[in-house]
Amino acid sequence: MGKGLASYTDEEFVAAIRRDDDRALAQLYRLHFPMISHYVLQNSGTEDEAKDVYQEGVMVFYEKVRDGSLELSCQIKTYLYAVCRRLWLKRLTEKTRFGGHLDDYEPYLETGAEADLELAEERDRQLGTMSQALDLIGEPCRSLLEGFYLLDKSMQQLTAEFGYTNADNAKNQKYKCLVRLKKLFFNQYQELN
Amino acid sequence: MKTEADYYALFEAYRAGKLAEEERTALEHRLAADPELARRLREFEDLTGTLTAYGRRLALRRRLQTIHAAMEADQAAHLPLAKVAEEDERREQFATGRAPRPLLRISRTEQKLRAFWQGHRATMMVAAAVAVLAVFATLLGMEMYRTAQKPSLYGYTVLRREVERIKRTQRTMNRTLNQIDVTQPGERINPGKFSGTGFALTADGYLVTSYHVIQGADSLLIENRARQRFRAEPVFTDVAHDLAILQIKDKDFIGFGRLPYAFKRGESDLGEKVYTLGYPREDLVFNDGSLSAHSGFEGDTGFYQVSIPVNPGNSGGPLLDDRGNLIGVVSGRQMDVQSAAFATKSSYLMRLVDSLSAAGSGRPYNLPRGNQLSGTSRPQQIRKLQDYVFVVKVYE
Repeated sequence: MGKGLASYTDEEFVAAIRRDDDRALAQLYRLHFPMISHYVLQNSGTEDEAKDVYQEGVMVFYEKVRDGSLELSCQIKTYLYAVCRRLWLKRLTEKTRFGGHLDDYEPYLETGAEADLELAEERDRQLGTMSQALDLIGEPCRSLLEGFYLLDKSMQQLTAEFGYTNADNAKNQKYKCLVRLKKLFFNQYQELN
Repeated sequence: MKTEADYYALFEAYRAGKLAEEERTALEHRLAADPELARRLREFEDLTGTLTAYGRRLALRRRLQTIHAAMEADQAAHLPLAKVAEEDERREQFATGRAPRPLLRISRTEQKLRAFWQGHRATMMVAAAVAVLAVFATLLGMEMYRTAQKPSLYGYTVLRREVERIKRTQRTMNRTLNQIDVTQPGERINPGKFSGTGFALTADGYLVTSYHVIQGADSLLIENRARQRFRAEPVFTDVAHDLAILQIKDKDFIGFGRLPYAFKRGESDLGEKVYTLGYPREDLVFNDGSLSAHSGFEGDTGFYQVSIPVNPGNSGGPLLDDRGNLIGVVSGRQMDVQSAAFATKSSYLMRLVDSLSAAGSGRPYNLPRGNQLSGTSRPQQIRKLQDYVFVVKVYE
């Protein structure tokens, strides 16, 4: 790229992302965005849709790497392409009446994108349910749980923020909230399945 | 009795490894013994696991958004610098991670049109295909309908002439040469499908008729004035000049006797008085007129135009001049022209016979030499002629 950024090989990328190296992720993101953006624009998409699809694809890749469950049998580029292609195909099918029409080639390599995407979809559903449950639970439970689990705040911080007399009170409140969340979450999840 | 919240406190401590040794073993024992408790633990782990995963997902999304924003900011900073040359700009766009956007300078209307085209392309293709098919189907259908209607043109000619508008649009249709062969309503056993006229070519059983009379024939019957019938077979046909030579293949046939007329090899002159004999009905019919042109339908030089009223059934009849020379074979007429009939020139018939003789297949053609008709009056000529003119009946 010639912009003073270190360039990585595929293996280095995977290793760096496993270490949660922010710069490697940014680098990877920039490296492959043009390809996907071009692809989506070519296949009747917009810039914004390209961005969404690409970010979803990168997320799938990133989460697989962090899980340690990634078995890369091809280049990262090919993998991302396959994943994003699938995602875009799905969106197109939802968007147009005639089903997705893509003028491109399907990668004939076994990228494992298909299976990964199914897992990711399942996960998306789960997380979607969670976000719904959080929407339903109401204050102050929502802020409390978000503070603790999503924003990684300590109990002391939260105690101060919410004006509890001591950390134990806050903790008890948190457990009660968890129980409520559990009911909402599993109810919703069962409804969906 | 512990509440569920209390259990959750316990589980959290257990997972965080903050339980004292004996508390931990006690809990593990209970978990092994109590499936209800184990289920609770699983649920707790599911819940907190999903929560943290959700948190991480949100964080990751924020990170990617930041990266994307940074990337776009970078681009914005780099683009003006790179505008020095068109080529540079394009390269820079690629390098900074943005695909070149051809859509950038498109007007709003065009954008809408493009979106419409993208959305309805398939429909429009189908519609176009259907339209093309419909056009061709209609054309084909019209053509077939017209072909099917052709026989009824005979009766409609006069009517058409009166209606000027229809006449103009259908002129081409009307100008078609209507060939003279038609179904003869039968009064006897199997009268045949079509009939025409034929006449003797040689004394030993060759006959001439029009090609279109015997077109598509399975078998042919020759019938003379005395209702005698002979089976005949086509020997040679000439589609271009509408000629057919038949040979009588009947055992009972003994020959025509000497032919009274001769065949003219040259061309006849305009204005020559001509006449024909034929079987447009069950009886022999005489018609006369004069030779009006040296070319036939649409300038075909193989034919004469003659002003003789001819009718369906006259096809294949002999055309003779005043001195009893055979000068043509009646072939057809034009519907939208007053009494314009056409006859194949005898010179073409002679040429055909000569070439067949030269080829030397079958029996030789002994054409009649002398003419016994010249100098006699027309009724006398016809009396001699009538035995050599036949009905040709065609069975399909």
